[in-house]
Amino acid sequence: MAANFWTSSHYKQLLDQEDVDVAQPLDREKGITVEDYKLIKMQMSNYISKLAQHVKVRQRVVATAVTYMRRCYTRKSMTEYDPHLVAPTCLYLASKAEESTVQARLLVFYIKKIYSDEKYRYEVKDILEMEMKILEALNYYLVVFHPYRSLVQFLQDAGMNDINMTHLSWGILNDTYKMDLILVHPPHLIALACIYIASVYREKDNTAWFEELRVDMNVVKNISMEILDFYENQRLVSEERINAAFGKLALKT
Amino acid sequence: MAVAALGQLNVEEPPPAWGSRSVDCFERLEQIGEGTYGQVFMAREIKTGEIVALKKIRMDNEKEGFPITAIREIKILKKLQHENVIKLKEIVTSPGPERDEQGRPDGNKYRGSTYMVFEYMDHDLTGLADRPGLRFTVPQIKCYMKQLLTGLHYCHVNQVLHRDIKGSNLLIDNEGNLKLADFGLARSFSYDHNNTLTNRVITLWYRPPELLLGATKYGPAVDMWSVGCIFAELLNGKPILPGKNEAEQLSKIFELCGSPDETIWPGVSKMPAYNHFKPSRTMKRRVREVFRHFDRHALELLEKMLMLDPSQRISAKDALDSEYFWTDPLPCDPKSLPKYESSHEYQTKKRRQQQRQHEEATKRQKLHHPQPHGRLPPIQHAGQSHHWSGPNHPMNNAPPPVPGGPGHHHYGKPRGPPGGANRYPSGNQSGGYNNPNRGGQGGGYSNAPYPPQGRGPPYAGAGMPANGPRGPASGYGVGPQSYSQSGQYGNSAAGRGPNQMGGSRNQQYGWQQ
Repeated sequence: MAANFWTSSHYKQLLDQEDVDVAQPLDREKGITVEDYKLIKMQMSNYISKLAQHVKVRQRVVATAVTYMRRCYTRKSMTEYDPHLVAPTCLYLASKAEESTVQARLLVFYIKKIYSDEKYRYEVKDILEMEMKILEALNYYLVVFHPYRSLVQFLQDAGMNDINMTHLSWGILNDTYKMDLILVHPPHLIALACIYIASVYREKDNTAWFEELRVDMNVVKNISMEILDFYENQRLVSEERINAAFGKLALKT
Repeated sequence: MAVAALGQLNVEEPPPAWGSRSVDCFERLEQIGEGTYGQVFMAREIKTGEIVALKKIRMDNEKEGFPITAIREIKILKKLQHENVIKLKEIVTSPGPERDEQGRPDGNKYRGSTYMVFEYMDHDLTGLADRPGLRFTVPQIKCYMKQLLTGLHYCHVNQVLHRDIKGSNLLIDNEGNLKLADFGLARSFSYDHNNTLTNRVITLWYRPPELLLGATKYGPAVDMWSVGCIFAELLNGKPILPGKNEAEQLSKIFELCGSPDETIWPGVSKMPAYNHFKPSRTMKRRVREVFRHFDRHALELLEKMLMLDPSQRISAKDALDSEYFWTDPLPCDPKSLPKYESSHEYQTKKRRQQQRQHEEATKRQKLHHPQPHGRLPPIQHAGQSHHWSGPNHPMNNAPPPVPGGPGHHHYGKPRGPPGGANRYPSGNQSGGYNNPNRGGQGGGYSNAPYPPQGRGPPYAGAGMPANGPRGPASGYGVGPQSYSQSGQYGNSAAGRGPNQMGGSRNQQYGWQQ
């Protein structure tokens, strides 16, 4: 029975960190590094969220779209799969897969609204064409399990489901989609890491609750460290740094 | 922890190669069906010789890209892994724009077509049931029904509604396995969400009253109504509610199941289309009367499946627990079922059409498989016999369940062009059976207007316990997987008691050798 995570294609496709931290050969030729990749993917995650706000879809659709985009770049180059087209297309595909269909022309309308720049504008036919390429890149694996449901359940179980903790840990969880965590770790561990950080932040002692869980706390702590590192690095990322990454991508080879 | 598990997985199961293969890996053999959104072909994988079914995804709606119905079907099929659910093997694409039979470019101008690759199944239930002269036996019907319910229970546990249960979507292979197919209308559902669903689903004859009355919130009960219709159809020999349009469908339902009111179906008068379709006169429920020739347990189960009020309709799980499946004659082992020449509703229909047009045999041959493809050896029942010869089965237990009339000619038929009705010498219909009981009872089958239902003499004297003991093995509540062959069919002591068909089964095929 495969409606649970452990037998799902999502579980079978969890990747090692090394497989996620890659820059595809075609992109490397342009001098694009793994760090550039991370920045571009983060920018595109933000772009997806922004588009999603316009077309009004649930966070779950955003999360699925970002996951598709990140999966895509573990095996396809940004040179061939232009991030500015991949991002809206992933949102388009995720909206179908999550039963919240958004019309392609609506997306195109908002893309134009967000970007005044000609070169980021795409038409309906571009999205539909990219949709097929992404489906193939994903090998038609469309089911994604997200940490949101476990987050809510855990908070409830720990008796920490006050508005304060819920908001904070939910917010941290949203931020994890700016990283590749969802490709590497099982969702419930990501949820626990978010709760862990939130409770340290709010100075809530729930060591006892964590200890009762039958999970490897080392993994949870490692994920938490990754998230904290991300927040740390985030402050050092400048506009120029991001532009430089996209600049390399725009290079003609 | 997670890392270790991941490492193990990587060793055991190499990650799938990314990107999909080309449809050119397959050689198309013939069209075998028309799905909700595309044609289905029988094809051979060139490298392995394996026969598969290719379902083409029609890209009609150029405005909205890859059809959401296909996305649903793919998502759902990747999620469902069960022996009674069709297996999606992979998805392949054709590299360039394709042309249809008339040479017009195909709908999708962006790429070639996309195909889902399924395991090939020889028959569908409608195609099989429509075979001239074929009559299912009771253990066979029970066997199919049990598999149908097991597969459906699995879907429902996994929060998937099939929404198009009908005979032609129930595929059967030559091992007797039945699998649910065509999830093109299927959807995930959840009990907690308030999502509304479309009521424009399920083929009319199998559509439950709540959908006809416009319900947009519904659950697994919709599939159970369809199961009831199929069940009755199997026992009855023809569809029970063949309405021509929605109004007629509802009136047929009311004529059979009585007109609904607030006592038997609380809330019915608030249904969106209730006033529109409200029956002009009160009708009483006639299920028992119309199907009085069904045996007691069958009728009891059918009654519960054909409940007008979906909340009172039996669930797949409870249906599997009903007396019907645990009373003699027990459902038989799928493997013991006869093997038939390939038949799909699409093909049988087409065949019939074509036969009308061309009477000559030469023309007829074209419609069948050009050659036997080695995958299906001439039926060797002997090889399976050990499976069924339990040590303690007196062979006079029950008459072998052989379809009446000329039906059993199909049993040993080699694949290939079928002949006319006289291909096989008739007259030895019961000859060669070693079962001494057979002679006396055989005639009853051929002429009986209905499949034997085990309430008359054919089964009564068999000396079997009325109910198979329900051992502790009944585990389908835990997880659908536990309906595995091992515990399910009683050839082991742990099961439900000995399958009484066992001894005589072996005898049945003696005449072939």
